[in-house]
Amino acid sequence: MIPESTQKKKLVVIGNGMAGGRLAAELVARGATKHYDISIFGDEPGGSYNRILLSDVLNGSKMPESIVIHPLEWYEANHLTLHAGERVIAVDRMNRLVQGDRGTTLHYDTLVFATGSRAFIPPMEGLSAPWGERKSGVFVMRTLRDCAGIAGYAQKAQRAIVVGGGLLGLEAARGLMEHGAAVHLVHRSNCLMSAQLDQVSGKFLKDTVEKMGITVHLDKDTKAILGEESATGLAFSDGTELPCDMVVVACGIAANIELAREAGLAIEKAIVVDDQMQVEENIYAVGECAQHRGEVYGLVAPIWEQARVLADVLTGRTAAYSGSKLAVKLKVMGVELASMGRTREREGDEIVCYQEAQRGRYKKLVIRDGRLAGAILLGDVRKTATLAQFFDRQMPLPEERASLFFDIGKGAGNTTKALPDDATVCNCNGVSAGKIRACIKEGANEISLVMASTKAGTGCGSCKSQLREFLG
Amino acid sequence: MSQPKTATHCPYCAMQCGMNLTQHEGNWVVEARDFPTNRGGMCRKGWTSVALLESPQRLTSPLLRREKDAPLQSVSWDEALDFIVGKVEQIQDKWGRDAVGVFGGGGLTNEKAYLLGKFARVVLKTANIDYNGRFCMASAAAAGNKAFGIDRGLPFPMQDIAQADAVLLIGSNIAETMPPIMQWFEKLRENGGKLIVVDPRATPTAQNADYHLQITPGTDLVLANGLLHIAIEEGLLDEAFIATRTTDFECARRAVASYWPARVERITGVDEANLRDVTRLLARANSMFLTARGAEQHANGTETVLGFINLALGLGKAGKFYNGYGCLTGQGNGQGGREHGQKADQLPGYRKIENETHRREVAAHWGISPDELPRAGKSAYELLDSMGEADGLRALFVMGSNVAVSSPSAGKIRRKLAALELLVVSDLFLSETAELADVVLPATQWAEEQGTMTNLEGRVLLRNQAKTPPEGVWSDAQFLNALAKRWGQGERIPSEPRVIFDELRRVTKGALADYSGITYERITQNKGVFWPCRAGYDDTPRLFHDRFAHPDGRARFHDVQFFGLPEEPDTEYPFFFTTGRVMSQYQSGTQTRRIPELNAMSGPPFVELHPDLALEMGISEGDMVRVTSRRGSATGCAKISDGIRADTLFMPFHWGGHHSANLLTIPALDPTSKMPEFKVCAAKIEKATEVERDS
Repeated sequence: MIPESTQKKKLVVIGNGMAGGRLAAELVARGATKHYDISIFGDEPGGSYNRILLSDVLNGSKMPESIVIHPLEWYEANHLTLHAGERVIAVDRMNRLVQGDRGTTLHYDTLVFATGSRAFIPPMEGLSAPWGERKSGVFVMRTLRDCAGIAGYAQKAQRAIVVGGGLLGLEAARGLMEHGAAVHLVHRSNCLMSAQLDQVSGKFLKDTVEKMGITVHLDKDTKAILGEESATGLAFSDGTELPCDMVVVACGIAANIELAREAGLAIEKAIVVDDQMQVEENIYAVGECAQHRGEVYGLVAPIWEQARVLADVLTGRTAAYSGSKLAVKLKVMGVELASMGRTREREGDEIVCYQEAQRGRYKKLVIRDGRLAGAILLGDVRKTATLAQFFDRQMPLPEERASLFFDIGKGAGNTTKALPDDATVCNCNGVSAGKIRACIKEGANEISLVMASTKAGTGCGSCKSQLREFLG
Repeated sequence: MSQPKTATHCPYCAMQCGMNLTQHEGNWVVEARDFPTNRGGMCRKGWTSVALLESPQRLTSPLLRREKDAPLQSVSWDEALDFIVGKVEQIQDKWGRDAVGVFGGGGLTNEKAYLLGKFARVVLKTANIDYNGRFCMASAAAAGNKAFGIDRGLPFPMQDIAQADAVLLIGSNIAETMPPIMQWFEKLRENGGKLIVVDPRATPTAQNADYHLQITPGTDLVLANGLLHIAIEEGLLDEAFIATRTTDFECARRAVASYWPARVERITGVDEANLRDVTRLLARANSMFLTARGAEQHANGTETVLGFINLALGLGKAGKFYNGYGCLTGQGNGQGGREHGQKADQLPGYRKIENETHRREVAAHWGISPDELPRAGKSAYELLDSMGEADGLRALFVMGSNVAVSSPSAGKIRRKLAALELLVVSDLFLSETAELADVVLPATQWAEEQGTMTNLEGRVLLRNQAKTPPEGVWSDAQFLNALAKRWGQGERIPSEPRVIFDELRRVTKGALADYSGITYERITQNKGVFWPCRAGYDDTPRLFHDRFAHPDGRARFHDVQFFGLPEEPDTEYPFFFTTGRVMSQYQSGTQTRRIPELNAMSGPPFVELHPDLALEMGISEGDMVRVTSRRGSATGCAKISDGIRADTLFMPFHWGGHHSANLLTIPALDPTSKMPEFKVCAAKIEKATEVERDS
C-alpha cells in the first residue's frame, strides 16, 4: 500500500466511458482518493453510462436513466473531479500537463489514457462528397446520434447495404429491417461472424438471416462507394457492383490514439501497454485504446478486467493483466448464439460436434490439452453457463463429453427395499436400514412409531419418504 | 420409576432444540421435548450431547504453566487466580490497560456474555474485547442494521417459513447444520412452495431443493444484483412498496445496471433461464430470503447481504406476513452474544459504544463515569493479529472459543498465542487453544448451570440446570467474580445467573434489544419470549409490520458492487478452496470430536474434490492429500464427489492440528463487519507424502 502522504499525488484520467468510468469505480472501492487527487475528463456532458445497453435504449426496451452507472453526484460524493463535456486536446509529457478544450490545464503525476475507440472505416474510395464531408447516405453505428441518423434516413431508402458481417453488422441489419428498406449485407470473408463462428455455424447463421429477408453477399471486398453527393451503390474488388440508397459501415472499431500519438507515445494498432497497463513511467492506458500483447479488445469484460488490474497497480498492489478470455452471447435475428475462445480447430485438437440442420442447432467444442479452448452454441444456448465455467476456469472436462451438451440422467440407483442392512437411511441420526427393518419386525407399523423408536426422520426429515417405503 | 426431567435446550447450534434431560439407570439421557421450534426433532448431535457430561477427558482442576517451556500442571483455583492477577497487573503497568484482551464466544449464555463485557470494561478497563461472532454472522448483523435499523436473525418465527410460497436460501446447508429446521421447509413444499438453494456445492440441502443455483464460489453478490436487474427489466418491482416503505432505491437501480443477465451468467455460472425463472418465482407471492455463512463469510459479506436485501425490498417482500429477509445464525447464542456487549463496538441492549447517550446510560447503570468507559476496541481478527505487536495484546482471556482452530490463517495465530505473556483459557476440555495457554480454567457445561440463550429467531430461551458440576469445576461467572473480588470489585460482577439476568434486564431497558420484560418464569410459561420485550408489554415475534427500525420507519436500499475476490486462483494455486461444516461435528470440534459416535459418522478429516479433478491428479477415494495456500497447508482424506465443481476443493473446519482448514484461509476482512473471508481462497492439492500419512 502507498503510505498516506500529506501531499496527494495528482491522477488524471482521460476518458469517462466504459473504461474510464469503471476505473474510477475500482479506484474508489480501493480508497484511492486517500492517496490521489483524481480528475477525470469526459467528452460527454453527464456521468458515466453503460454503453453496451445503448441498443436497448434505442429499441425502447430500457429507459435512458436505467443505463446510468454513475450520475454526476456520485463523482462529487466520492471526491472525484469530473470535467464533464471537456475534451482533452493536448498532453505535454515534458511538463506533465493536460490541456482541455474549455481552458482547463492540469498538472499530473500519473496519467491514464482511457480514450476508447470509434467506428473503423476501412480504406475505400468515394467516401466523401466533393465538399469534403462524408457522402450523404453513408453511416457508421456507434452512438445514439448515429442510430437516430440511420433510422431517419432509412425511412426514404429503398435498399440499404450493411458493410461488415460481424456482430455489429448483423445488429445494424436487424435494425434496418424495422424501417422497411430492403437490406443487403456484404462481408469480406466467406463466413459471417468469422471471429466467433466456424464455417458450418456461419452457414447456419447465413441461412437463418436470409430466411428473415436479408440478402447476404459473401467474399465481397468493398472498393468504393458510388454516387456523387449521396451513396448510390457499392463497387467491389471483383469488379461487381450493387446499387443502394444508403450504406452502413460496420467494420469494427479503431482506437482513439491521436492524442497519445501527438504526445509521442508508442503506438501500433493502439497504445502499447505492458502487463501492468503501463505505457511508460507515470503513464497508463486502459480499454479499447490499449494494445496488450498484440490484442486490442472491444468487449466489456476484458476492459473491466484491465480496469481492475490498473486500479490495483495504481494503489500499490501487485497485479498483472495476462490477457482476456473472450466470450459472447447474444441473440442475432432471433437466433440465440454463444461463442467463446478459439472456435476453429488446429491440428491435434479434439472436436466434439452436434448438429441438427433442420432446426438450426449446432454445438461444437474445441478441446486442447484436455481443456476447453473454444465452443459454439447456436440455436440452443442452455449450456452456455456451464461451458463458460469450463472455459474461463480451464477446469478438467468430464470424460463423458456429451454431458457438456445435454443433461444426462443418472441411473435409478437402489430402491429403498433393496438397501443392504448396513446402508444409512437417516443421516442426521445415523440409522441403518437394518435397524429400521428390525424395528418394523418388532411391531412398529406406523411412521411415527418407527421415528420414536429409532429416531430416524427426526432430524432434517428428508428420509421420511423412505421410511414410508419400508412400511409399505 | 419416573425420574425428574429437566427442560432445557441443546448445547450446540442456533436452532437450540428443546430437549429434556433425565437419568436412566444412572446414565444421563436426552428425551424429546415438544417445543415450538423443533417439535421433538433433533439431530445426532443433540441426542448424543449427554455423552460429554461424564467424559473422562473433562478438565476438573485449573492448570498452570509457570514458565513458557514448562508443562501445564494442576493447581488450586487460588493459585491460578493469584497468578492471573499478578500477571495482568504486571502487563497493564508495563504495556497499558489495552494490552490485556478478552475473547468471548457465541456459545456463552446471555448472562455470561453480558458479564464478560462488563468485566472487560469495568474491571480490566480494557477496550479490547471481541468474540467469535465476527467469524460467524457479523456481516448479516451489519447489513441488517444498515438496511432495517436493527439486527435480529429472523424477523419472524420459524414456523412462518411453512407459509411462504418461495424461499431463497443463500449459502446455507441447513439439512446438515440444523436438520430439525427442515421440517418447516418440508411443510412449505407440501403447501406447494418452492425452495431455491444457492451454493457452490450440491449439498444435501441443495439436492432436495426445487432449484439449485450452483454458483462460482464468492460470486453471491453478482447473483443478487443480477436478479434485481432482471426484476427491473421484467417490470416485477413492487413500486408501491418502494415508494411508501423504503428510501434510496435509485442507488440500488444504478448498482444493478451493470449486472445484465449474460454477464451475471458468465461470472456466476448460473444459466440465464434459471436466473429469470427464480426472479419470477420470488416476485410472484410470499417470499423469504435467508442467508447463512456461505453468503456472509466473505470480505464483501456485508455488501452481499445488502444485495439480497435490495432484492427483497425491490420485490416488496419485507415487513408483512410470510415475507422477509433473515439470517440463519450459526452459534447457539450467536444472536444474544452480539447484543449484550462482548463485541468491541457494542454495549448491552445493542447500544453502541461510540454513542455518547448510550455510554452515559450504561455507565450510570454500572456506577462509573462515562469517561471511564473504554472506547471501541479492535475486532476479533485484528485483536488476535495484534498479539505481540507494538500497541497490541500481551495477555488474552479466551472464553467459549477455540481460536487456534477457528481463526483464519490459524498457523500464524497459533504462533502468536503461544508467544503471549499470559494466555488464560476457560473451557470444558483441553482444546487446541487451551493447550497453548498459561492458565487453563475448567468450566461448567450447559447442563450444569442455568442461563438464557437467544436463538436464531430472536426468541429468548431458558436452559435449566440438570446436574451439579464435578468437583473443582466453576462456571465462568464464578471465576470472573473471584477475579473481580481480588481487585476489590466483587460486587460489580455477580456470579448467580438470575442476579446477572436481572441486571441485564435493567440495563437493556429502553435499548434496541430491550429484555426488560423477559423473566425466567415468562420464558418457561410462553416457551420462549421474542425481543424486544419491554416490561409490561407483549413480546415481538414479528418485526417490521408497521415500520422498519430506522428513525423514518423506512428500509434502505444500498449501492453494492462486486469488485472481485481477495484472492483468485492462479497458475500456482489453481483451485478455489472453500470451507464449511458436516452434520455430526460442531464448530472447532472441542465437544463433538470427543464423542465416538459422532466421529464414526463424520469419518476422519477430509478434502472433497470432483472425480474429474481426482482422475487428472491421480487421486483415489481415501488417499491422504495435502491442500496448500499461501498461508499454510492441511491434510485430510480425499473424498470424491460430483457435487462439487472441478475447480473447487472443500474442507470442513472442525479439526485441529494439521487437519485444520483454517491453516489455509485468508484473513481479508470485510471493511464494515470485519468478517474474514472464510469461504474462498486459492489453493493447490497433491497426494501427501508417506511421512504425513503416518502422522
